[in-house]
Amino acid sequence: MSLPTFPGASAPRASCLDLWRERNDRLVRRAREVMAQECGLRRQQLIQDILEGFRGVLYSLQGLPAAVPLLPLELTVTCNFIILRVSLTQGFNEDQAQCVQQALKRVLETQEQLGPRLDQGLRELWYSVLHVSSLLPDLLPALHLLAGLQAAHWLSTDHLGDTAWLLQTLNGTQSRASEDLLLFLKTWSPPALESDASLILQDAQGLRNVLLTASALRQGLQELITGRLPKALSSLQEAASSLCSRPVLVQVYTALGNCLRRMGNPQRALLYLIAALKEGSACGLPLLEASRLYRQVGDTTAELESLELLAEALSVTYNSEAPQILIEVELLLPRPDPASPLHCGTQSQVKHLLASRCLQTGRAEAAAEHYLDLLALLLDGSGSRFSPPSCPPGPCMPEVFLEAALALIEAGRAQDALTVCEELLSRTSFLLPKMPRMREDVRKGTKELSHCPLWVSAAHLLQGQAWVQLRVQKKAISEFTSCLELLFRTMPEDKDQGAASNCEQGCRSGATLQHLRAAALISRGLEWLANGQDTKALQDFLLSVQMCPGHRDASFHLLQTLKKLNRRDEASAIWWRLKAQIQLPQEEATWSLPLYLETYLSWIHPPDCETLLEEFQTSITEPC
Amino acid sequence: MAGTEPRVHYLAGFSCPLGGLAAGKPRVLCHEQEVFLSTGSEFVYVYDQEGGLLTAVYRFPDQVWHLQLLALRRALYVLCARKGIYCLSLESPTRRSSSQTDEDKDSEVSSPVITVDPEACVLPDTTLCAFTVHDDVLVALVQGPAQWKMQLFERPCPGEDRWPGGLVGEVELSTSTPPAGAPGKLTSPCFLPVLCCVSPPGSRVPRGHPQGCGGFMLEEALFGLLFGADATLLESPVILCGLPDGQLCCVVLKALVTSRSAPGDPKALVKILHHLEEPVVFIGALKTEPQAEEAVESVLPCEDVYSDCLVALGHHGRTLAIKASWDKSGNLVPELREYCLPGPVLCAACGGGSRMYHSTPSDLCVVDLALGGVPLNSEQPQSDGAPGCLPPLLCPASLSICSVLTLSVLSRTPAGGTELLALSTKGCLMTCRVDLNSEMPGPTRMTTENAGQKIKELLSGIGDVSERVSFLKKAVDQRNKALTSLNEAMNVSCALLSSREGPPPISCTTTTAWSRLQLQDVLMATCLLENNSDFSLDQGWTLCIQVLTSSSALDLDSAGSAVTYTIPVDRLSPGSQREVTLPLGPSESGVLDLPVTMSYTLFYSLKEVVGGALAPSDPLEDPFLEEQPLDLLPEQEGICLPLSRHTVDMLQCLRFPSLAPPRASVPCPLGPAADLVDTFLETCRAPGSELAGPAALRAKYLPPSTASIRVSAELLRAALEDSHSGVPLCSATLQWLLAENAAVEIVRAQTLSSVQGVAPDGTDIHLIINEVAVTDLCLAGPIQAVEIQVESSSLADMCRVHHAIIGRMQTMVMEQAARGSNPPDLRVQYLRQIHANHEALLREVQSLRDRLCTEDEAGSCATAQRLLQVYKQLRSPSLVLL
Repeated sequence: MSLPTFPGASAPRASCLDLWRERNDRLVRRAREVMAQECGLRRQQLIQDILEGFRGVLYSLQGLPAAVPLLPLELTVTCNFIILRVSLTQGFNEDQAQCVQQALKRVLETQEQLGPRLDQGLRELWYSVLHVSSLLPDLLPALHLLAGLQAAHWLSTDHLGDTAWLLQTLNGTQSRASEDLLLFLKTWSPPALESDASLILQDAQGLRNVLLTASALRQGLQELITGRLPKALSSLQEAASSLCSRPVLVQVYTALGNCLRRMGNPQRALLYLIAALKEGSACGLPLLEASRLYRQVGDTTAELESLELLAEALSVTYNSEAPQILIEVELLLPRPDPASPLHCGTQSQVKHLLASRCLQTGRAEAAAEHYLDLLALLLDGSGSRFSPPSCPPGPCMPEVFLEAALALIEAGRAQDALTVCEELLSRTSFLLPKMPRMREDVRKGTKELSHCPLWVSAAHLLQGQAWVQLRVQKKAISEFTSCLELLFRTMPEDKDQGAASNCEQGCRSGATLQHLRAAALISRGLEWLANGQDTKALQDFLLSVQMCPGHRDASFHLLQTLKKLNRRDEASAIWWRLKAQIQLPQEEATWSLPLYLETYLSWIHPPDCETLLEEFQTSITEPC
Repeated sequence: MAGTEPRVHYLAGFSCPLGGLAAGKPRVLCHEQEVFLSTGSEFVYVYDQEGGLLTAVYRFPDQVWHLQLLALRRALYVLCARKGIYCLSLESPTRRSSSQTDEDKDSEVSSPVITVDPEACVLPDTTLCAFTVHDDVLVALVQGPAQWKMQLFERPCPGEDRWPGGLVGEVELSTSTPPAGAPGKLTSPCFLPVLCCVSPPGSRVPRGHPQGCGGFMLEEALFGLLFGADATLLESPVILCGLPDGQLCCVVLKALVTSRSAPGDPKALVKILHHLEEPVVFIGALKTEPQAEEAVESVLPCEDVYSDCLVALGHHGRTLAIKASWDKSGNLVPELREYCLPGPVLCAACGGGSRMYHSTPSDLCVVDLALGGVPLNSEQPQSDGAPGCLPPLLCPASLSICSVLTLSVLSRTPAGGTELLALSTKGCLMTCRVDLNSEMPGPTRMTTENAGQKIKELLSGIGDVSERVSFLKKAVDQRNKALTSLNEAMNVSCALLSSREGPPPISCTTTTAWSRLQLQDVLMATCLLENNSDFSLDQGWTLCIQVLTSSSALDLDSAGSAVTYTIPVDRLSPGSQREVTLPLGPSESGVLDLPVTMSYTLFYSLKEVVGGALAPSDPLEDPFLEEQPLDLLPEQEGICLPLSRHTVDMLQCLRFPSLAPPRASVPCPLGPAADLVDTFLETCRAPGSELAGPAALRAKYLPPSTASIRVSAELLRAALEDSHSGVPLCSATLQWLLAENAAVEIVRAQTLSSVQGVAPDGTDIHLIINEVAVTDLCLAGPIQAVEIQVESSSLADMCRVHHAIIGRMQTMVMEQAARGSNPPDLRVQYLRQIHANHEALLREVQSLRDRLCTEDEAGSCATAQRLLQVYKQLRSPSLVLL
């Protein structure tokens, strides 16, 4: 029995599908609006709300049994949800993988014959879905977008093989001949959306471009690190020629500059770096690369200038751009580790690099200023935005203090150097062992503390040197003495263990200890000499030669003093030994010594070794 | 220890859910006279200790997980679950209140509830689990899908929009096991991570309230030993973090500056100090050097004491203490010691000295890490000058206060005691004075006045324990009661479901009557629930009455409305009965759609009876239990037992004003929803005027609709003989038909055989019953039959009466057929003829109805006319019910 129809029923009543589609479109429009207009906290909150909206629609859709007419909308909403979520959290994670998996299972649920195989991995799921999807042409645009997101996820987690496989399957090419991800990306042409389709936040074509740039850049960086420079160059040029945003372009140009510099083309490298700087946004990276380039070509002034600019650039807080709402190339790049050419470091690291370069290149005044700047920044309570340069490649804080004191002495500011050393001593002396002993403790907490005696004695050494500069000999000698006391109390222990674990610090604590002892003895000896107490000086020089037989400076000083005291026999013995040593290649170069010690040793280097040797030779040979 | 002298003073009570508050999330802070308190719900209370009253109540959008107070800046930072961090300025709470909720308008004087403005959210993040504020920075711990992430922000101030520009650095904490909860699903974790900020000695940081900030200062040797030379040289604060998986790690705050091009390397930034292998619930610091403590105390206020021992507590009582000491060769080494304290630990606090308080469900204990509680300690030779060793054993001393959920050390009293602020499971805020004197007051030295004091304190201790006893007792009682109730319910269900024949043990009968309510006559149904079983219906039982009106014939679309009334059956003992009266209609629109079906069901709510008993009686015992009661409850919420079904039809609703005894002089029943205007017009009309309403006109000009039913007299007589013997058959039939009507008495008294009644909507209904003889049906001769005629000016009402009569006839015929009475011989040929006629008519009805759906208005009018005629033919059959 049929019932009479109502007039109202003939009017088009919106179906649930239309309602949901309408909600999706509204959310997409709202998201675009928010992207364009809002910023900061409010934007974040609004995007969070929109995300919840998408989640709601998705839950409604997934509450129903999977059905072919609903699937395109469901996949679209899933894609929108993932895109917004990724841009909000600035990265892919397992949640998104689960979203994709859920969506694929829903597609398969509509295909009954595939029901029992639902517990397979992502790759198998994609395989099944892509083979089914030929049956469902309406599904293709959304499915391609989802595949693009999957590729982005795999790319960002370094699953390059999976990414290449997925794209190959999407393209429908079965040849296993080439594994070139870039080629697959280029040949992938996602089907265009119909005009009446529900709205999406980022279309597959745009995603493809992002993927192309990101994978080219990734490959280029990878090859830069492994040192295959020609391959890196071609990949990076590929990245540079694709569409990308300004910050990404800066990164690409910098990487190109790095590559060309290492290939021995500084001129071309410079061109790229200038181009990168012209792009404007974050100019830290190209400036750092430029400093490396100038250092390589030996233009110290330009190198220091670019480092200064870099430090300034980093001190300006980014007027932080609002996080990109869409999936961007930057999201797919690996986090730069210190080995990467795109690792810029923090402001303090750059400041320290600048200061130490000044010190190394003999610009003591500038070095002193930069070190003082650095210490002020680090120690001020307000410097919460400023971290110490103590990442593994850099020196630790006590060494920064020592370098600063050294620079100050070199710049003739002995009083300031004393203050810096005093500060270091007051903050570390309570960590000194009662019976100092170089010991590598297995426990992590005490490992670096074993270096404490070294730092403290070095501080005393520098204080002594500062007093020397101030011509207060008594104090200088007492500082050298207390330095030596500490150094001789410190015993290198567990040599076999020490060698292995010390490499991290970049210096051998054993070698450092030896050289420190020699340096302190020589310094005290020199001071005795200046005081006219030649025998005491001779004692110290002798001791230093015994302590550090490989240390030639000690022998020179000994030779000189012996000559001065007219003890020819002993002098000639030393001379023969020295001559033999010079014949040998310099064993164990000072590579492993920390900067402060290296510089200090250069101070006590006798000024005219060659002439002394020749003079002595003639004086020896003459009587014979 | 015999020297414990707790003195408990109750300050205020706060609402707590059934089964008490849960551990882990409540917080209590104290600043000067103000106490800031959250109980784990969405409220933050501000209590004035001096005045002894609540000064403000803040309401947040979700549970509050953590509080931190920056006393110097008068700002309260609040972590709201799944929302983020809010910052409240405490300067002028009343002015800042953005919107007052209406619920507490009248009690505004005592505690206005201030709904916190969403604008006050300074750091929105749905995954935030812990935070700490230090000086100008805020450190937050975010729960990622596989690891924890520590983020450093510039400290946001209320009303400033600096995020996300304020993000200074972040680093991932390595963790072997992913945090609890499925990815993508935001569940409320059982244990929150613990964050606290450790400052080096002599740092130039302005000191806030130590408890409020959750931070402390460590002496330089321990600080340098634990956190390295860099942190010491930089004088950088260090964030200590205790994770629910037991990991205790630290991050040097000044090193935690990262950027996109220089991301934080966990290996360089995060140092794992220890692994407790059970959730970390507390991190604190103690001063264990007694002589130094005294020296410091005499010079400095106790806030400036540098602690020399770091402690961390796990949920099950495993305790870690770290101190700096020298080894044999003179090296500075950390001395680590693990202890086992009674668990599960609900909360803990460190006082200024060497004492740590920790609370379990059964007791509040204090341990002293300087004494260690063991005199044996003094026998151990200590190398001179070296920091003292940690005690080999800890002896917790009971304070006889149970189930304290959160603690805050208020101050040290001049007498050397400590005052604690505590919140108990039942929501009681109290202060406890703890006097732990080194010399133990023995019984011999007890004077009269301190005996009184002692008795008082013992009494308060007893009171505290008895609170717990009563709590447990209540839980047991509740469960016993639930079991008894379940047993009864089981018996009732069995009795109801197994009784197939005989009167049901629990029955429900219905009578209807008209009564006047507010100028309108309403048909009232009176339901009588009778309990004839041996069991009583107790708490948890509900009588559900579903009133289902039939769809109106005029409105084909509406499927009839159903209203369900639920009436709690509050203790119906065996043999007793309960009456419920329900209005059946007419509804607002004046329509009473008859027949109305009423179905009765008994519902037993499992949730009501069992839910309370299964709720965690003591959630402190183990927070993991929290989730179980929900799983224990069965899927469905209760049991449904259908009782009976009753139909109210037209015959029950007819009224007979003509039969009413004259002395009652009831005015003619007004139509339902008598329109005042109609009444007015009615009265205005000149008497005798022919101008009448449409009903009158119809009555005058349209012939009344009629229907008739013939029943063989023999059949009727057989059916009615036991109840109506000695009454003329026509009258007996009428009485039978109107048996459930109030007018049956008058009909019986006057032995009427025809009656003039009024339908609920006011139209006349005429029931005429007379005896006829049907000649041409039976071979043996004419059959004596009774003809029931229904006449009414309203077709609809006539149909309803007809339907009701047919219904009764059906029941009667079925009963008689069961008795096996023999019908007389019939002329089959004639019957067949009639049957064929009827079939033809039915077919025509079918086709006419189909046409009605498709035709236009003019055509459908004619069709409807024809349809009515056919129906009329159908209604007056020549058949007799035999």
